[in-house]
Amino acid sequence: MATLPVSRLETIQRFGPHLSYPAGMRLDTAEDPDKVVKTHCCFCGQQCGIQLKVKDNVVIGFEPWEEFPFNQGMLCPKGVRRYLQGAHPDRLTTAYRRDANAAGGFSPMPYDAAVRRVAEEIDRIQSTHGADAFAVLSGASLTTEKTYLMGKFARMCLRTANIDYNGRLCMVSAGAANKKAFGIDRSANPWSDIPKAEVVLIAGSNVAECSPITTNYVWQARENGAKVIVVDPRITPIARTCDLFLPVKPGRDVALFNGILHLMIENGWIDQRFIEQFAVGFDAVAEHVRQWTPRQTAEVTGITESAIRQAAEWWGQAKSSFLMHARGIEHHSHGVYNVLSTINIVLASGRIGREGCGYATITGQANGQGGREHGQKCDQLPGLRDIENPEHRAYIAKIWGISPDDLPGKGVDAYEIFRKIDRGEIRGLLSICFNPKVSLPDNNFIGRMLDKLDFYVAIDFFLSESAHQADIVLPGSLQEEDEGVVTSAEGRVIKINKCVDPPGEAQQDWRIIQDIAAGLGRSRGFTFNEPREIFDELRRASAGGIADYAGITYEKVERQLGVFWPCPMDDHPGTPRLFEHGSWNPVALGRGPFYFPDGKARFNVATYTPPAEDVDADYPLMLTTGRVVSHFLSGAQTRRIGPLVDQYPEPRLELHPQLAEQLSIRDGDWATVESRRGSCTLRAQVVRTIRPDTVFVPYHWAGAKSINQVTIAAQDPISKIPEYKVCAVRVRREASPPAYAQQLEPQQ
Amino acid sequence: MPVPENHEFFIDPGRCIGCQACVHACSECDTHRGHSMIHLDFVDRALTTQTVPVICMHCDSPTCAEVCPADAIKRSEDGVVQTARKPRCIACNNCVLACPFGVPKMKADFELMMKCDMCYDRTSVGKKPMCATVCPSGALYFGTRDQIESLRRAATPINQFRFGEQLIHTKVHMMVPKSRGREIVDVAAALFEAPVGQDMSLNILQ
Amino acid sequence: MHERVRATIWGAGMTALLGVLIVLGSRRLDHFDAALVGYTFATLFATFGIVYRYSMWLQRPPTRRYWVRGWQLFLNPRYLGNNLLQFLRRVGVMFALNAFIWRRGTMRGAAHWCLMWGCVIAAAITFPLVFGWVHFETVEGDLQSYRAYVFGFPTLAFPIHSWIAFAVFHGLVWASILVIIGVMLAMKRRMTDHGAAAVQQFAEDYLPLIALFAISATGLMLTASYTWMRGYAYDFLAILHAITVILTLLWLPFGKFFHIFQRPAQLGVSFYKDIGARLEQANCRRCGEPFASRMHVEDLIDVERELGYRYELEDREVQHYQWICPRCRRLLLSIAQANEWAGVRGGGPLLSDLPNAGISSSDRHQ
Repeated sequence: MATLPVSRLETIQRFGPHLSYPAGMRLDTAEDPDKVVKTHCCFCGQQCGIQLKVKDNVVIGFEPWEEFPFNQGMLCPKGVRRYLQGAHPDRLTTAYRRDANAAGGFSPMPYDAAVRRVAEEIDRIQSTHGADAFAVLSGASLTTEKTYLMGKFARMCLRTANIDYNGRLCMVSAGAANKKAFGIDRSANPWSDIPKAEVVLIAGSNVAECSPITTNYVWQARENGAKVIVVDPRITPIARTCDLFLPVKPGRDVALFNGILHLMIENGWIDQRFIEQFAVGFDAVAEHVRQWTPRQTAEVTGITESAIRQAAEWWGQAKSSFLMHARGIEHHSHGVYNVLSTINIVLASGRIGREGCGYATITGQANGQGGREHGQKCDQLPGLRDIENPEHRAYIAKIWGISPDDLPGKGVDAYEIFRKIDRGEIRGLLSICFNPKVSLPDNNFIGRMLDKLDFYVAIDFFLSESAHQADIVLPGSLQEEDEGVVTSAEGRVIKINKCVDPPGEAQQDWRIIQDIAAGLGRSRGFTFNEPREIFDELRRASAGGIADYAGITYEKVERQLGVFWPCPMDDHPGTPRLFEHGSWNPVALGRGPFYFPDGKARFNVATYTPPAEDVDADYPLMLTTGRVVSHFLSGAQTRRIGPLVDQYPEPRLELHPQLAEQLSIRDGDWATVESRRGSCTLRAQVVRTIRPDTVFVPYHWAGAKSINQVTIAAQDPISKIPEYKVCAVRVRREASPPAYAQQLEPQQ
Repeated sequence: MPVPENHEFFIDPGRCIGCQACVHACSECDTHRGHSMIHLDFVDRALTTQTVPVICMHCDSPTCAEVCPADAIKRSEDGVVQTARKPRCIACNNCVLACPFGVPKMKADFELMMKCDMCYDRTSVGKKPMCATVCPSGALYFGTRDQIESLRRAATPINQFRFGEQLIHTKVHMMVPKSRGREIVDVAAALFEAPVGQDMSLNILQ
Repeated sequence: MHERVRATIWGAGMTALLGVLIVLGSRRLDHFDAALVGYTFATLFATFGIVYRYSMWLQRPPTRRYWVRGWQLFLNPRYLGNNLLQFLRRVGVMFALNAFIWRRGTMRGAAHWCLMWGCVIAAAITFPLVFGWVHFETVEGDLQSYRAYVFGFPTLAFPIHSWIAFAVFHGLVWASILVIIGVMLAMKRRMTDHGAAAVQQFAEDYLPLIALFAISATGLMLTASYTWMRGYAYDFLAILHAITVILTLLWLPFGKFFHIFQRPAQLGVSFYKDIGARLEQANCRRCGEPFASRMHVEDLIDVERELGYRYELEDREVQHYQWICPRCRRLLLSIAQANEWAGVRGGGPLLSDLPNAGISSSDRHQ
């Protein structure tokens, strides 16, 4: 194992991650705040309401916000400790340029000069190699205003087709499948429908750790008598006391749901009337699942026949139900099919669009929903509009005051951007709210590509691992330093309120983007004075689209404690539950509940294919990855918060005792997990809560501890989501610790 | 000022997901920043993800207070067993060892025992205890008897616990299934019982 | 009843002993200032009260156990040498420096340290003077020097205008200043600290501060009166000062100040812990991990029995719940609850590797 290069160690020493802890950890009382701001947590798609205490322009603590209906004061550890990310020693308060002679590899520079340099480089690259040679990577934890502005900036100011965002790693399989089946990409139901369901089916979602507040909804359903079915290769905390646990082999979800549908049809547990009246394509699907007999399903999924039968019986016979899934079934090279196969059993049951009858994907990122609606996705324009649809192009071009011909076409997905860098087609990159060096699969490749760029500018509030490789780093803003709306997993538009000003030369992100536009001499359309002005334009841009925000105002959001889109008019209250009789639907216009011209939902044949990389003699185990409760995404924020790091300091390799025994690995031993792409040496955690043929590693760490060195860059052909949830690996015990164990602190 | 009228503490460890929100929230509390009074343990991580959050149960006749040589632990009129009086506690550890629920914590640095006091600083001004407010699983719940009964229809709150020959009554209630008709939970009997949970091997096709 | 009789006897005895010492120390009241008789009687009353309460306290089962065991261990010849060294160190760190209180909070530490040293200095000066145990006389043949007499025996002499004299004769001024600083810091904390606000009581927490402030302020006024104001209102102030002191003395055994006498038990406890750590450990009879000294667990089992607790178990190996470590006790609460829910919520019993838990050992129980 190679030791770390000195330069990387120096960068870490200078810029962190270092840990922050509450001040004065004694028995002294806390200071009284100057003000308490009602806002939302910056982590995860549930967007819990929280009150932040502010004193002297610093967030000093929190207080639960019990009136906010979604979480009623509840928080997870990330929410409780989120305030510790402000006033952090690692916080970037000035612009930096890469400088091999400077301590830590970067030297500070004036903000204006940095912006000028960025504009010059963009101009140079685009005039030499064409507009598309400069790409933009954005993020789904930004406010919706910012995501709107990023899309507009890329298309109207940079005129590049190549903008994409990190929702590509998160929401796109669900989004694509939802559009195929329902014509709309949003959770069909508010969470308040969960406790009203007789059966709750959770597929590929570690609810307890990734969306902890949802736990209470699931338990409430169980208190009301619901059966809880969990599909997962690991017994997560939500699975521990569920009524039926289906330990699916990673990557075999299509088979499972096809098998369940097979049994539903065989036993007549389908809603024939609903299917005929409100859906099309059932016959083809019925025909397709005929091959998925219980025996066949059991063999492919690795689940016993009796358990599959039990699941079909409970799901089939329920009067009301709620099906939810998350990255567990979405992070696959056939993620869209996985999702479609779950939607098929929902549609066949006829239990959707009614109270207590629901379906939802649990959004992962802070603005995972809002971030994919308004045009920072490579194929989308604001309002969930399609960039290849001439009418949609014309509408947005009119709002922006440009000719539709000047609007670039469809770009490529986030991973493809790196392949284009490899091919020399993309020479420059601007990233914001995205840490691809940690979060993309096979990330040693990503690291090489970042180095290969002619010019890379990162906008960030901490020097993320990706920003380590930037030429210029512009100091952006934390969530609490700006205002704007985000849309939660439920489809509820809520308001982030500003608590403090950005420190030093740090700027609100949208100002940085406008400054770059000004530096390029293309200020037109980028002269907003506050987020509210951006939001007002976004409302107009989304009007008439599916994600219609036209009737949403900041005041309405605050008054109603959130507004569910679509909300097309000022006097419209919003749409908590989709597909209800008479609810707003600009596509079907009364012909039916779903967002197609005939108003009918689509059954889609979901064909089973094994994972892109199946196990073999050389790599006999399956690796699956995921989150832990105290960290968020690439860890750029949570790995800097001391108490969260203490809770789960370093990634561990989870494996079953049977497997551990074969490999002579004991709990706490060092072990290397290795694929055809890379390897990672971690401490083993031997637990009986994982399939014996599968190992698990959480993905929040960087460098030598990053499991994404090992994962595969295979992508779903439709959604382009990478296959994080399964690849082939082998595991061996290590006699001695890896070099990083002596050189780095756990979070680094 | 006492705890808000009619509000009681109900625990249901079976709902716990081990997220530690309670632990973090407790240590953000005003009277003991950086020191959580809540215990959250894995029952046996090698075996199961089961976790258990333990707050003070506030016994009617608290063993911790009676074995305290310094008379440092007081029970308020409304039944809250308070943390050790700072001038008195001599850090002897008797309470830590004697509490049948394993609640008090010894803070060696401070020469002081500290324990959960039902967030007296919050409840005395009409707020809920921090842990019960943030708990995302409802394992820790603070509310009225009516609220808990309407939310948890299959459960009944009980507050008597048996440890061998000793019966302990507590102010805090634990949720047990109504169908069992139990009035007492025999905690010591669990010495000879296994943790409960889904078994990985059960539904795997061999 | 028995305890009260014993406490009364101890109280009366110690009060009498102090009386005798006053008579002896003041050379049959030769050096006793009759004007201070009020202080003396208040002190005698406080002595009775404190000893009575201390004696009652020592007779509580847990305290008695610690008291007896603490002395046994302290005086045990095997440990005595080390104990004495540790004693000196701990008196310095715990008592003189209040290190553990500073760690709780700077403001807390500063307040307590000032209050404590102010009171200690003041007590060290005033009680011997009041009892006539110390008095000063001019040195014969040298009118510029004083000599201090302790219990009537001559000791050091020093010049009247030296800094030593200034420091000694103004000792109470310095003590008052320390106490007033301490009171101010403590008051500020009590008024701003949310935690304190929730639990503090007037009589328990504010009154002691007010009493100390009153004593110090009136004492300083006396000094101001005779130093700069030619004794203006001196008699009135003297009576006022006497009232504050006497009331405080009378209240000493009842309120917060009793911790002054109780607190040194912390030293005894530290020896109990030190030596316990070197003796045999108690291993949890569920998880097998050591969690306390065996002596401590056994002492506690006895104390609990004396107090009427019945944590005995039928199981012959575990015997008593006290042999289960606190962590396992927490786990057992959840296992017990989970078993109540078995069959209602999902999941079944899981085999465990713990020596005493799980299916295999339940056979043993049956």
